[in-house]
Amino acid sequence: MTREEHLLAAMVDAVDTLVDDFDLIDFLHKLCDRCNELLDISAVGVMLADPAGGLQLIAASDEHTRLLELFALQADQGPCVECHRSGAARLNISLKSPGETAAFPLFAERARQAGYATTHALPMRLRQQVVGAMNLFDSREQGLSDGDARVAQALADVATIAILQHRTIVHGNVERAQLRAALSSRIVIEQAKGILAERWHSTLDEAFDALRQHARAHRQTLAGLCQQLIDGSLESSVIRRL
Amino acid sequence: MGTDSDLAAVLQSLHPSYGDTGLIGADPKLCAQALRVDGVAVSVTAGSGLSELLWSTAGASAWLEDLQFTLGQGPALEVAASCRSVLVADLSRVSADRWPVLLPEATALGVGAIFCLPLAIGSACLGTMTLQRTAAGPLPDAGLTDARLVANALISILLESGPQREAFANAADSSAFYRAAVHQASGMVSVQAGISLAQALLRLRAHAYRHGRPVVEVAEDVVARRLAFHNDENGPDIPAGEGTEGP
Repeated sequence: MTREEHLLAAMVDAVDTLVDDFDLIDFLHKLCDRCNELLDISAVGVMLADPAGGLQLIAASDEHTRLLELFALQADQGPCVECHRSGAARLNISLKSPGETAAFPLFAERARQAGYATTHALPMRLRQQVVGAMNLFDSREQGLSDGDARVAQALADVATIAILQHRTIVHGNVERAQLRAALSSRIVIEQAKGILAERWHSTLDEAFDALRQHARAHRQTLAGLCQQLIDGSLESSVIRRL
Repeated sequence: MGTDSDLAAVLQSLHPSYGDTGLIGADPKLCAQALRVDGVAVSVTAGSGLSELLWSTAGASAWLEDLQFTLGQGPALEVAASCRSVLVADLSRVSADRWPVLLPEATALGVGAIFCLPLAIGSACLGTMTLQRTAAGPLPDAGLTDARLVANALISILLESGPQREAFANAADSSAFYRAAVHQASGMVSVQAGISLAQALLRLRAHAYRHGRPVVEVAEDVVARRLAFHNDENGPDIPAGEGTEGP
């Protein structure tokens, strides 16, 4: 399995226990409420893929039976199912349009009965993997503006992170390690620039250009070269002053 | 005053930066406004306990991050270590021995309340988001929810390992690195005084604190060769004709 697959596996394993995680559920409920307010829509639900690949409702903006039934239906059909499968957002679906709802006629019918005119589904992504979908319902016949669509996707991302955040997933350390590595390599490069510039009585830019040139010529990473200069395993006299 | 449309605008505008503004796009001032605080700062932690300020409003928030970096104490360091929020509704009620040097400095900056949240994923803490307000008082529940929304949106940006992070790691854009001068100056001082990089950083920090200046500013003087640390007996040298290095 790739690292992403491991992470995904860890996450879907967690789905069963998520309902016991009161803080997380509470936060996701608040997130759904905020989503309603921020986007001025009627209802929101967060659905997560379970190990079998089916979607489960984790939190919704309200608990009306008719709304809950709409999420339950998406065990096998609905915009979230499509969104989860394709990884692409499906926005501004008119529930009255047979063409736009061709893949989920029963869902569309029930949604209309519940009083909704428009629905949107946004992917919940972790890097390349889609781990679930966020479903928005509007009682009015109206689409999301581009800006609203970006807000909705940001909230779907927030939900993804919230779910990850509450799991003790060892892979979190990998994510941190990558960010730290980027930062650490940057620090090492800046330090080496300072060391070389001081030894040469040159400008930092001259030192930097020389370091870059040397790294390229010797097929070394810049950060690796800089680390060698810092720990003394490479003499600065070896580096050609441009 | 923050409104729903402010928060929507913040969430809409948060994206990995494509320009020379660091890893995070979007306007920190707007973010502070939406969260109804006076300032916000986001720092990430590198190995070796060094942190980097990625994004902040100007003034007290940036200063507070600098102070914590200079002093090696404060809520952001606690949050980074424990991965738990530190919410201080009233700085004047914090026991003096918790952050003995930082507290009077923060109060002098006019900071009355500090709310520091971890940018955490699983059990790993990537960094911190610190909100500060002049007026003391708790963050209301709704405010805390919004702060967590923004914090999570920030995490999702930081986790996107796009070309920006690559460019950042390779120093492709020097303006994006707030503390670049501190690390460059550490390198220079280590050569000047013949000491390790860690010792060089300590001397920069000590000098900054003694003179009540941000460590970044002291580092910029070193980089511009207005200030040098040739031997540790007599403190730093100031090249002739340059005058003193400030109050």
